[in-house]
Amino acid sequence: MASADSRALRFYRALLRVLPFDFRGDFGPEMETVFHEQHKEAGRRGGVAGVLRLWWETIVGIFKTAPGEHVAMFAQDANFALRMMRKNPGFTLAAVLTLGLGIGANSAIFSVVNAVLLKPLPYEHGDRLVMLQQQAPRAGMLGQPFSVAETNDYRAQSHSLDGLVEYHNMNFILLGRGEPERVETGVVSWNYFDVFGLKPLFGRNFRPDDEQPGAPAVLMLSYEYWIRSFGGDPTVVNKTFTMNDKLHTVIGILPPVPQYPDENDVYMPTTACPFRSRPAFIANRQARMMRVFGRMKPGITVSQARADLNGVASNLQKAYPKDYPPSIDYSIRTSALEEELTHNARPTMLVLLGAAGFVLLIACANVANLNLARMVRRERELAVRAALGAGRVRMFRQLLTESFLLALIGGGLGLLFSWGGLNLLISFAARFTPRAREIHMDGTVLLFTLAVAVLTSVLSGTAPALAARDTVVDGLKEGGVQSTIGVGRRRLRSLLIVAQVAVSFLLLIGAGLMLRSFQKLQHVDPGFQPENVLTMQIGLDFAKYNTGDKQRAFFESFLDKIQTQSGVKSAAASMMIPLNGNMRMTGDFQLEGQTPIPGQKLPVADFRVVSESYFDTLHIPILQGRGFTRADRPGVPDVAVVNRTAARHYWGTQDPVGKRFSADNGQTWTQIVGVVGDVKQYGLDKDTADEIYVSMAQNPLMDAVLVVKTEAEPMSVARGIIELLYAVDPNQPAARVQSLEQVRAESVAAPRLTANLLSLFALLALTIAATGIGGVMALAVGQRSHEIGVRMAIGARPGEILRMVLGQGMTLAFFGVALGLAGALALTRLLQRLLFEVGPTDPLTFVGVAVVLGMATLVACYVPARRAARVDPIIALRVE
Amino acid sequence: MFHVLLALAGDDLHGYAILKEVELRTSGKVKLSTGTLYGIIKRLLADGMIVERRSRPAEADDDERRRYYRLTERGREVAAAEAERMDEVLSIARARNLLKKPRTA
Repeated sequence: MASADSRALRFYRALLRVLPFDFRGDFGPEMETVFHEQHKEAGRRGGVAGVLRLWWETIVGIFKTAPGEHVAMFAQDANFALRMMRKNPGFTLAAVLTLGLGIGANSAIFSVVNAVLLKPLPYEHGDRLVMLQQQAPRAGMLGQPFSVAETNDYRAQSHSLDGLVEYHNMNFILLGRGEPERVETGVVSWNYFDVFGLKPLFGRNFRPDDEQPGAPAVLMLSYEYWIRSFGGDPTVVNKTFTMNDKLHTVIGILPPVPQYPDENDVYMPTTACPFRSRPAFIANRQARMMRVFGRMKPGITVSQARADLNGVASNLQKAYPKDYPPSIDYSIRTSALEEELTHNARPTMLVLLGAAGFVLLIACANVANLNLARMVRRERELAVRAALGAGRVRMFRQLLTESFLLALIGGGLGLLFSWGGLNLLISFAARFTPRAREIHMDGTVLLFTLAVAVLTSVLSGTAPALAARDTVVDGLKEGGVQSTIGVGRRRLRSLLIVAQVAVSFLLLIGAGLMLRSFQKLQHVDPGFQPENVLTMQIGLDFAKYNTGDKQRAFFESFLDKIQTQSGVKSAAASMMIPLNGNMRMTGDFQLEGQTPIPGQKLPVADFRVVSESYFDTLHIPILQGRGFTRADRPGVPDVAVVNRTAARHYWGTQDPVGKRFSADNGQTWTQIVGVVGDVKQYGLDKDTADEIYVSMAQNPLMDAVLVVKTEAEPMSVARGIIELLYAVDPNQPAARVQSLEQVRAESVAAPRLTANLLSLFALLALTIAATGIGGVMALAVGQRSHEIGVRMAIGARPGEILRMVLGQGMTLAFFGVALGLAGALALTRLLQRLLFEVGPTDPLTFVGVAVVLGMATLVACYVPARRAARVDPIIALRVE
Repeated sequence: MFHVLLALAGDDLHGYAILKEVELRTSGKVKLSTGTLYGIIKRLLADGMIVERRSRPAEADDDERRRYYRLTERGREVAAAEAERMDEVLSIARARNLLKKPRTA
């Protein structure tokens, strides 16, 4: 019986642990006696049933009471904590600011990671969408688009897809709304948006009859264009607009979704494109222009779809051996659309998230240190409370509540910081992914921030709270302000400093490498002079300028007019401008005198169409032979200019000038008349490809970029040139009016901004760590002023004291740097993909960062060291 | 809470006695568990409606872990005020014939 009784009591005591510590402390023993009596009586009166009923009532009662008591205690602790914060505004401000910056950095970067990398694509069944690309690596064809015939074949023969749609981009001219406007247009299959699972915000989707030849012209507005041009007015649906030579009716407005591969203003069915509609184009299996997207049937994986589509590819090879000879190694590349939309952003975003995490770690270590420092002053308070009966667990809870409140306020501040920087971050992320528009502060980000705040409070509060446990007992015994901190605690503080320095070192290395890489990028010779060059995109109205002669006549007359404009040195046109995007026209050709061997890869080059003064205008040096002239016209033999890389690659030591090649299997031959310097066409960090320039007079363009060398600031002549354009044709718009310098700056904006963000984080880390070291040293000096006084009394010179304190600070920094060095050697490899011509262990960066960190530590330690050196021994000893 | 105040309106009692008193007075209708009882006691102590008695009866079987609680002046006032309020409510209920038989206190 007695053992049953004590078992019941033990169980009851265990049950009481549900209640807060205070409550148990106040009433626990008493409750046990009451329960004991209840238990005895229940057994006596009600037998087993009575005992069971008592247990039931008791358990329910305790679980009902506990939550309220916990909340009450938290409120009490929080109240006390807030009072403590008000009493120490300096500490509170430092801690909240540090944590705010640390947490803010994390919630900001997380909002990007969440929207871009974690959330599913905002299309219905976004996980079932795939992108198809044709490839024939041995023919230099990678990421090749599709012809109409190919699209139809893949649509008909695939078994893994329940939808396959095509896309290409062109431009229309919108008239009747003030100045003529270039409208970027996505030309798509009628069921394009159905396959993506997009329902229009207003209006309707395309229908099969919209894509019939001769159907009335219709268009779907993108959300951004609708907001930008129509102020979000839904009544624009069913209105008609003149675009080129036709009236087009708006049938719907798209929701805000990422647009890929291009940001378009409007969408039209495939029949709207005059080139796509030509019978000759449709019949030509090699006329590849369209991107193709597919939706996998439910339950199909990407690798299943890949296998299925490669099966179709081998069918095509069998059916059309002339179009897909075995020698070119033809296959199809199938990739998840989600991967396609985000793979550019992933490495940068993950590096930034890691960096933000490190900043938070430093912030935590710093606040933990601040807490420890404050603990010295709070020792008496804590000791008194301990003497009054507050148990260790209780004190632990109080201290954790304090750090939780700090972290919570810090987290609120952090949210404000990240909210403030959100727009900057969105424009930053937009350089990596079309999903940037999805970035915002949502519930997930708030939850993440809260979780980070909780983690922060644990990280920054546990160490001091644990340290407090050891000292509360001694606090009263020593009884003075001078109570020395325990060796253990001093070691803990030193350890925290070392960790802060180490992590700062790591971040500084990361930032240093990115900055060096960016600097290298800036010093790359682009092969042309971007200074004082104005550029603008001119897309001719395809209905009006429907022959090569008309197109040539337009550009020649326009360029002639520009040349006479004052402030203009020269003007030219080109298919595209350097450093701009990924548009590429790759083709194979055969060299005269070399009969192509079947099964052998033909020479491949990127073709570029430029007008006669293009090389002059951009100062691209002519190395051999000549550039294009007025004499290179239709009717005379076709001419071409090759770049230096192609000249070396295909002609070696021979002079290519005078040699001929054919791009159409020997039907026509083009003569090389010159060699020009290499130009960075696709980006400063990209290698130069083999390039062949052909003359615009002999190969007229519909859509060209104008380049105008000016005497002064290029944008200042922009308006005058647009007026000239209207003088030639009032219905012809100019788009993307910008200087070539801007184009160049844009091309390196992503690495520049990444470097800047990393530098910001590193600077933050350095500041926090340096003030941390300074603070620790100041405290140490304050606590040791007695000892220092003794030293000086027995003859130590101020200089020696100064050196001693500096030495101690620098020792900490040294260990931190050593640890950081080890970490950096292990981690910077992760940065490799983001670096340009800088190794992840670049010695210059490592040495530079170590020096910077050492200097910062020295400065931070100097102030307390000087104070130590000025200690008056008499005063210091008198304090005792 | 009111029941605990009522129980203490008579004698100063310890915890178990309060439980028994409440159970007895309400003919077993109100049974407090230890958790709820001490939740109430904590609040009453905090609000100054009861205090812990310093001296304790010198009974032989008295457990020294027992604590005795006494109603304070303020506690008595609150209990009285609550009783009056209930009385008023009861007389309204009677006037509306909601209570069949007036009970004598």
